[in-house]
Amino acid sequence: MANDPQAIKRGQNLFALSCGYCHGLDAHGGGRGPDLTSGRWTHGESDAALLQTITKGVPGTDMPSCNCPEEEAWELIAFLRSLSTNTATAVAGDREAGERIFFGAGGCAACHLVNGRGSRFGPDLSRIGAARSVRHLTESLRNPDKEIPDGYQAVVAVTKDGQRIAGVRKNEDTFSLQLMDQREQYHLFLKKDLREVIHQPKSLMPKYDERALGQKELEDLLAYLVSLRGQPKQ
Amino acid sequence: MKKHLAALCILLVSACVESAWAQVSDDRLVKAAQEPQNWLTYSGGYAGWRHSQLKQINANNVEHLAMEWVFQTGATGSFQATPLVIDGIMYVTAQDNRAFALDARTGRQLWRYQRRLPEKVGGSNRGFAVLGNKLLMGTLDAHVLALDMKTGSVLWDVEAAERSKGYFFTSAPMAIKDKIVIGIGGGEYGIRGFIDAYDAETGKRAWRFYTIPGPGEPGHETWAGDSWKTGGAPAWMSGTYDPELNLIYLGIGNPGPDFYGVERGGDNLYSCSVVALDGDTGKLRWYFQFTPHDVHDWDANEMPVLLDLEMQGRRRKVLVQANRNGFYYVLDRTDGQFLLGRPFARVTWAKGLDANGRPIVLPNTDPTPEGNYVCPGIVGATNWWSPSYNPQTGLFYVAIREQCDKYFSVPAPYKEGKVWFGGGVQTVPGDEAWGALRALDPRTGELKWEFKYHTPPWAGTLSTAGNLVFAGDMDGYLMAFDARTGKELWHRQTGTAVWASPMTYAVAGKQYVVIPSGSALFAFALPDSVIAKEISNGR
Repeated sequence: MANDPQAIKRGQNLFALSCGYCHGLDAHGGGRGPDLTSGRWTHGESDAALLQTITKGVPGTDMPSCNCPEEEAWELIAFLRSLSTNTATAVAGDREAGERIFFGAGGCAACHLVNGRGSRFGPDLSRIGAARSVRHLTESLRNPDKEIPDGYQAVVAVTKDGQRIAGVRKNEDTFSLQLMDQREQYHLFLKKDLREVIHQPKSLMPKYDERALGQKELEDLLAYLVSLRGQPKQ
Repeated sequence: MKKHLAALCILLVSACVESAWAQVSDDRLVKAAQEPQNWLTYSGGYAGWRHSQLKQINANNVEHLAMEWVFQTGATGSFQATPLVIDGIMYVTAQDNRAFALDARTGRQLWRYQRRLPEKVGGSNRGFAVLGNKLLMGTLDAHVLALDMKTGSVLWDVEAAERSKGYFFTSAPMAIKDKIVIGIGGGEYGIRGFIDAYDAETGKRAWRFYTIPGPGEPGHETWAGDSWKTGGAPAWMSGTYDPELNLIYLGIGNPGPDFYGVERGGDNLYSCSVVALDGDTGKLRWYFQFTPHDVHDWDANEMPVLLDLEMQGRRRKVLVQANRNGFYYVLDRTDGQFLLGRPFARVTWAKGLDANGRPIVLPNTDPTPEGNYVCPGIVGATNWWSPSYNPQTGLFYVAIREQCDKYFSVPAPYKEGKVWFGGGVQTVPGDEAWGALRALDPRTGELKWEFKYHTPPWAGTLSTAGNLVFAGDMDGYLMAFDARTGKELWHRQTGTAVWASPMTYAVAGKQYVVIPSGSALFAFALPDSVIAKEISNGR
């Protein structure tokens, strides 16, 4: 099936229907799922491992089971195998330099956690290299407002006496709001006790443009981020 | 001794009365409003109002409403059913074709039924119909069953179509005279939709109305080539019935494949329409198509609600529907004439409706390989969850979604029994989505009040004579609102998203409000002390 153009075409269509929502219609990844053209398969690259990933999902991640017949899973694999590996995703930077930026001048660890080091205020990046494409990581650094993950939208709760509590939104419904502030403190509100809830369209992450992070530093940081593929096995 | 005899007499009398009451005649169904302590059909009555005359729980005391009992079904998935209550006993279906009879005062189980389904077949069911001593149910393997009300045992079981070809039932059937009427599901599986009627006594099929006309029938020409054979147009929701006109009204679902319409050129009748069928023969009396040649999965299965309204200077028998496509419609239900239509939520795909009610479609709104951003989104401005109508306030209540999607299309070959979308949707990151309970003037579609929900809902409404509207939401709340003003008066968290519409009933002088949520039924009532106070105040 691997080289059958019909199977690849069917796989492409199935991919658009079942997988494109997270991995992008072109399989280059996005804010919800990794780039599948990178040539790196975090959960195993054999046919058997891919079949397992597609038909069973990956517990502990956002990857669900496709709930499809095995024949269709093989068509998806045929399509994925047909994608030329995207060499542009290779990162030229210096990983160690990137790590120094992350925990030093870049200030990333003030909000992000890597293998237990850093802050819980922003998303945990311990396996970000496996979960997101270089393209997406670059965009998240250069233009963090474009896509803000669930649980990290900026929100300000204004109490009846005018106090303003800012943080990231962990949950919200019609009657209540749960947020975490930058000191990792939870604030749990009933909306009837609030004067106002302000949803801010911008990310709390600063924009790392050319001035804040030059091209060389960006590449170093990306090299570090791409290397983060989960806690090393004990 | 005398005392014992009296007790025995009471027991015997109540036994006699009880056995007489247990029979639910079609006359009782026509006059369902006369026994508000019961809930005899999916919508509480043939007209689809989902309104109850009960008012023990009302806008003045609803703040005291408290949990009375919970019943766990053990089923996973979305619990979409509306229970029936008949003379103190609740009959409810749940996911994967489970069914239960419960003591409606305590939630204690009387019997249970679970159908053995083929491997990998599962999903929701929306409830029973009742007629005589039978409960009627459609199954996920496309059978229609009659269960004995007293025991839950199967009295008859007929196969309507083949599950392996994509056919299944999720809808609550309708009992009409001596027949059971039910529409098929499978609009995403390349079926040819139909509505069936079965003799309630024997299970013998009395008639079938195909929702896609066959060769030689009017409307067949609205399907290019052989596309009619696999065009979908399911009827996966219960409808309404006008006993005087003897007309059954049912909404019809989307044509298939959902998003790729190239190979099914034409209006694709009777997809995305309401059909009026003769109550005895199932013959088509009229139809009205809301969305010709739909490519956004905007099924018209939302409840077609029957009202008698003053319109254009005279009292008219109308049918109103808040359609998934974002427009609210008023039709003359005697002949299907379009009287009025206007958006009740954000609509970006059509400029409006013409004099005949046909949408004036805007360019660049069909799905494409790259995608087009359109409102409403795939779930629609509303969907199958029930609206309600309160004759005291004269308002029509509907839970709406303000949510949009990017629709794309992919050519997809038909494979028998396989899911067949021909495209899909993507949400746009950062796109704001929310919901609301809206009260409309049913004569004009004009917005009278609104209560905003944080999250777009999948749950419906219940109206009561206590000047209340109950509604569920996606964040897990059951809420109560002042029916005249929309003021939120009470809410309780059920622990997971609500995917159903509330209902109400009374037993032994106590009114209950029930909402399915997750794996459980939650029943709420007023504390006895509040009820006693209501009684002493003469209310």
